[in-house]
Amino acid sequence: MRALVVEDDALLAEGLTTVLSRAGHTVVRATTGRHADVLLANEEFALVVLDIGLPDIDGFELLRRLRQRRSTANVLVLTARDAVEDRIHGLDLGADDYLTKPFSVSEFEARVRAMLRRGLAPETPWSVAGMTVDVAAKRVRVNNRNIDLTPREWALLDLFLTHPGRVISKDHIAERIFTFDEPLSPNAIEVHVSRLRTKIEPVGSHLRTVRGFGYLWDVEDG
Amino acid sequence: MDKAAPRPTSIRRQLLMFLASAAVMMVAFSALATFWVALHLANSAYDRGLLDPAFDIADNVSLGASGAHVDLPEKALEALTYDQVDKVIFQVRSRENAIIDGVPDLPSPPEFAAGEHLFFDGNYRGEKIRVAALRSPSGIVVQVGETLNKRNRLIEEILVAELLATTLVALASIALAWFGLTRGLVPVERLRRELLTRTPGDLRSLTENPSPVEIAPVINAFNQLLDHLRDAKTMQQRFLANAAHQLRTPLAGLQMHLELLLRQELSADVRMEIERMHGATVRASRLATQLLALANAESAPQAGREHEIVDLLTLASVSANDWAPRAFDLKIDLGFALERAVIVGDSLLLAELVDNLIDNALRYTPAGGRVTVTTGCSDGVPYLSVVDTGPGIPLTERGKVLERFYRITGTPGEGSGLGLAIVREVAERHGAELEIEDCNEDGGTCVRVRFPKKAATQAPPG
Repeated sequence: MRALVVEDDALLAEGLTTVLSRAGHTVVRATTGRHADVLLANEEFALVVLDIGLPDIDGFELLRRLRQRRSTANVLVLTARDAVEDRIHGLDLGADDYLTKPFSVSEFEARVRAMLRRGLAPETPWSVAGMTVDVAAKRVRVNNRNIDLTPREWALLDLFLTHPGRVISKDHIAERIFTFDEPLSPNAIEVHVSRLRTKIEPVGSHLRTVRGFGYLWDVEDG
Repeated sequence: MDKAAPRPTSIRRQLLMFLASAAVMMVAFSALATFWVALHLANSAYDRGLLDPAFDIADNVSLGASGAHVDLPEKALEALTYDQVDKVIFQVRSRENAIIDGVPDLPSPPEFAAGEHLFFDGNYRGEKIRVAALRSPSGIVVQVGETLNKRNRLIEEILVAELLATTLVALASIALAWFGLTRGLVPVERLRRELLTRTPGDLRSLTENPSPVEIAPVINAFNQLLDHLRDAKTMQQRFLANAAHQLRTPLAGLQMHLELLLRQELSADVRMEIERMHGATVRASRLATQLLALANAESAPQAGREHEIVDLLTLASVSANDWAPRAFDLKIDLGFALERAVIVGDSLLLAELVDNLIDNALRYTPAGGRVTVTTGCSDGVPYLSVVDTGPGIPLTERGKVLERFYRITGTPGEGSGLGLAIVREVAERHGAELEIEDCNEDGGTCVRVRFPKKAATQAPPG
C-alpha cells in the first residue's frame, strides 16, 4: 500500500520509512507541509503519517484540506505535545489515530496495522500474534486449532484487535456490545473476557486486565 | 563594632510628632496669653473693691486742730476692710507722711498728685499684696491692701478652664490626625495585603482602582516592574517549552532507530550497550516532557483554560490508557477505583498532575507491586489519590521530595526528581492540598490531592 510520511525531522522520518517499508508499504516522504499538500492533492495514499509541528503549513491544516477533498486515507497524527486538546482537535478534524512522540516501534506498527485493518474489506483473513482471524467467517484459529467463540466473545475480540495498545474501559465495552440483548454488567464483562482469554490461550496472555478499569490488547511481546 | 539597624522611619510617627509638638506649643502659648488676660481681668475686677474702702476712709478723715484723724468707729472700719478670703489692711498717712491710722508697715506709695489714685503690687510681711492708694485733695494718703488669694483663685480658674479646653482641642486634633492617617494609609495596607496573597508565579499587574494620588505612582512603577518581570518570565518559559518541545522529535527519531537496531542480530555486549542507550533516550524524552509540564504549570494562567470544568475521573481514565502498557512492562498491577470528582481548573495541567503521580508511583514500586489510582469526593471534597506498595517516603524526606531535581539518596530507578515538583506546582495553582502519607496496609506511599470544596459546587449538576 502507498504510504506518505510527513515529518520534518530527518531521523524520525527515516525511521518511520524503514518501519513502513519493512511492513511492505511503498513510502513517499515529505518534509514540508507545502510539499505534502501537493502530494496529497495529486496522489492517492492509503496511509498518511502526519506530524503536527511542521515548519510551514500546520499538520492540522493539512488534515483539514485532506478531508475537504473527501480523501479516505487513514491518517495517523504524530504530535510532540501532550495536550489533550491536540488529540481531540486532531480527531475532530478527521484523524484516525494519534501518537504522542516519542513512541515505540511496536506501538507504531500496531497502530498502523489496526488502522489499515479497520478499513479493510472483512473478507480478508489476517493474523496477529500467532492467531488467524477470519472476520467474514467469524472464525479464529490459534496454532492451527479452530476456536469456537460465542457472538459476544467474538465481538469482544474484534473490539480488542481493532484497538491494540489501547485501554478499553468496561463502560466502553458495555456501550459497544449491549446491542446483543440487554446491557452488560461489569461482572458479566469480566466473565466473558476471562472465557475468551482461556479459549485463545496462549495468545490470551496479550489480553491484559487493568484492575478496576478495563482491558488492553498488549502489542508488546512477552 | 556593628551598629544597630536603623529604626525604620514611619510616616505616621513623623507626622504625629510634628503635630504633637505644634499642639504642645499651642497649649503653652495660649496658657501664657490667658495668664496675662486673667491677671488683667482679676485686677480690674478686684481693684475697684479695694478702692471703694479707700475712698470711704478718706471721706471720713477729719482735720481737727490736733491734726488729722480717722473719724470712723472701730466697727465701721472693720466692716470696710472685711473680706472672707483675703487679709485686708489699710493705712492712712497725713500730708506730712506721718502715719495717722492703720498698719504702720505698709510700703509707702510712689509719688502721685492729689486727687489721684493708683494701684500697685507690693509686699506686706512677706506676702504679696495688691494695694490701692489715693491722695485726697487735702493731701491725705489712704492705702488699702489685700493679699492675692481671690485674684489667684480667679486666674487659676480661668487658666484651668482655658487649659482644659485647649488641651482637649489638641488631643482631639491629634486623634483626628491619627484616624485620618490610618484612613489615609488604608490603600497602603490594601497594597500590602494584595502583595502578600500573591503566589510567587503570579506577576499580574496590581489593581489600580481608585488609589490616592500619593500611592498611584508607586503602584504604577511597581506594575511596570511586574510587566518587565512577566515579559522576562514569559520569554524564559517559552524558551523552555520550545526547547523541551523541539527535543522530543529528535529523541523520538533516536529511540525509533535504536529500537530498529535492537531487532537485528546483535552480539550480547552490543545489544546491552544499545539497550542502555535506548533507556537513556526514553529518560531524556520523559525529562523533556516534564520540563515542558513544569514550564506550563509555572506560566501565567491562560485565559479560559483556568476555569474549565474537569472531572478527575475522566483525567484518570485517559491516564489509564497512557500508563497501563508501561505498568505491564514493569509487572506492576495498575488499578483504578474511579468515582466522579468534578473540579474547576486547567485540564492540561491537571493531566500533568495525574501523569506525574502515576509515573512516580510506577517508578518506585518494585515488580509485583500494586499502584492504585482513586478519584472521588469525601465529605464533598473532590480528591485524587495514588497509592503504591513501594518503599514509602520517610517522614524527613517528605518536604524535600517536592523540590525540583531532588531524589532520595539510594533510591533505585532513574527518575528526574521533577515529578512531584510538577504535582506540587499544579496543586498549588488549583488551591489544592497535597498530602503524602504512609499506607496503612502494605507500607508504600499514598499521595492524595484534595481540591477546594467550593470548586465542586460551581460545577453543573448531573
